[in-house]
Amino acid sequence: MNENSMSIPHLVMSASTVVQLVMVLLVIGSLLSWVVIFQRSFALSRAKSAYQKFEETFWSGVDLNDLYREIPADDQRQGAEHLFQAGFREFHRLMPRNSQPDQVLEGVQRSMRVAWSREEERLTKHLVFLATVASASPYIGLFGTVWGIMGSFQSLSMTQQATLATVAPWIAEALIATAMGLFAAIPAVIFYNRLSNSSARLLGKYEDFAEEFYAILHRNLQGREPNTQ
Amino acid sequence: MTKGKKTIAFLGRKRHKSDVGYGLPLILAVTLHALVVGLSVISLPSQDDTPESSSIVQATLVSTETFTDQAQQPFEQPTADVPEESQKTTLPDPGPTAQDIATEQAEAQRQREAEAEAQRQREAEAQRQREAEAEAQRQREAEAEAQRQREAEAEAQRQREAEAQRQREAEAQRQREAEAEAQRQREAEAEAQRQREAEAEAQRQREAEAEAQRQREAEAEAQRQREAEAEAQRQRESEAQRQRQREAEAEAQRQREAEAQRQREAEAEAQRQREAEAQRLREAEEARRAAELAERARQAEQAQNSFTNIVKNLVEQAWIIPPGASNNAAVTLNIRLGPSGEVLATSVVSSSGDGSFDRSAQQAVEQAAPFSELRDVPAEFQRNLRQFNLRFTPGMFADVNVKTNRDVAGFVSVEQHSVC
Repeated sequence: MNENSMSIPHLVMSASTVVQLVMVLLVIGSLLSWVVIFQRSFALSRAKSAYQKFEETFWSGVDLNDLYREIPADDQRQGAEHLFQAGFREFHRLMPRNSQPDQVLEGVQRSMRVAWSREEERLTKHLVFLATVASASPYIGLFGTVWGIMGSFQSLSMTQQATLATVAPWIAEALIATAMGLFAAIPAVIFYNRLSNSSARLLGKYEDFAEEFYAILHRNLQGREPNTQ
Repeated sequence: MTKGKKTIAFLGRKRHKSDVGYGLPLILAVTLHALVVGLSVISLPSQDDTPESSSIVQATLVSTETFTDQAQQPFEQPTADVPEESQKTTLPDPGPTAQDIATEQAEAQRQREAEAEAQRQREAEAQRQREAEAEAQRQREAEAEAQRQREAEAEAQRQREAEAQRQREAEAQRQREAEAEAQRQREAEAEAQRQREAEAEAQRQREAEAEAQRQREAEAEAQRQREAEAEAQRQRESEAQRQRQREAEAEAQRQREAEAQRQREAEAEAQRQREAEAQRLREAEEARRAAELAERARQAEQAQNSFTNIVKNLVEQAWIIPPGASNNAAVTLNIRLGPSGEVLATSVVSSSGDGSFDRSAQQAVEQAAPFSELRDVPAEFQRNLRQFNLRFTPGMFADVNVKTNRDVAGFVSVEQHSVC
């Protein structure tokens, strides 16, 4: 009886309903946060490698028109490719209609800014959930612990002999809630910092790429301007 | 329109191809949690000690409450004993509680029921008993028969077993003897082997010893030679050392003598200097003392003079010279003063022959008293001034003393009178 009563599953099963609810909540939070952690890690690493590949091809001296033609028109790309696609498409659309290079460049810049903000939204998706789990789950666990200890004291007042053996299981099962809260919070904190940092770095790279691409277009337009007129 | 269709198509593509799916992360997360839960379930039963120890801890806590007096004296008592004792003490405790009372009541109830039951059973039992006895009689006879048969069989069995036992024992005996024989042979061989080895060993040892002996002797010889050489070397060195020492001692002796000579001269010089210094000091001291004495004498003189002048003036002012007194008349009074200047006694030392003149002089002194200025005189001179003579001679310096309403002024001279 003593052996079984202190094992964690037994403690979880014998806890009060509120504490069990808290535990279930924490388990779900931990599960979801780990799903987010894995999903974001994979997505970010894939985005990083895709960006490197695209940058290599972009700076390898390939003609930009060929590069744009390689991308199918109805295939929405991601990352720097998305920026390039949006900017170049806008450039091509505006070029025949508008003779003033400033307006063309302005339209290109705007479209790239929109694409960049979409990319930002895509990269930082679900990270807020991680932050929420990281900051809230210790409190939830603490609530479960406090509730469980309250219940233990209430039941303690009913017994006549208050020994350590009557209190210990209650407190142990109450403390499990805090342990679970910390178990959910610690990885969430660590990976939130890590993932947000790497996504911010990737977004910075996108921004740099957009500026460089804009510079190329600008140079091209300035060179072509006398011919068109 | 086309644009709108395109974006819709993009969105569809995007959803289809967009990111990493959620399936793999979900599986990974679930496996991770399952692993953690599994670890917590697996690892905890292996820690069976902790719950047991916790119960032991509880027992020790109770024991410290009940055994505080004893536990403090034997500090070295092993802790393992404590829980046992505590168990003993705690076990009787829950005995006389409410539970015990309840169990007693239940016990009584059950007893009453059991008694009634037993009564009924006894009657049925007696009936059955009687029937069973006849049956038992028959059975007993059959059993006795069977018993006899079994005994005979057992007897035969025992005999066979004893026979087999004897045979096995004889066989074992023979085997043991053979084994003992083989054992002895092996031991003898081993003994011989050991002896041979021991002899060879002894032979090797003797040779090694002889070799070692020779080496030791050679070494000892070399050692002796080295020692002799070292001894000779030491002797030579010590000889040279002694020679150097003697020279150094002689040198040191000479130096010491010269040093002592110098010291003696320096001491004599210092002595002379000290004496001269002392001489100078003594002279200076004497001069200082003489100057001091002179100073003190001068001070005493000054104090005495000032005091006598005051006394003279006071007495002159208080002296009313009788009208018929002649200018040549003179009276000398001896006056003794107290410590604060009051007149203790006046006595006529040498009378003028005129009684009224003498009396007037005495009255003048009494009028002028007390001479409180005595207290202003330094204490060391006071004693000299406590007794003095006053000599009254009227008319000699009338011009000096006629100042007030007095017609005739007198002259008072003070004679110093040393007190013994």
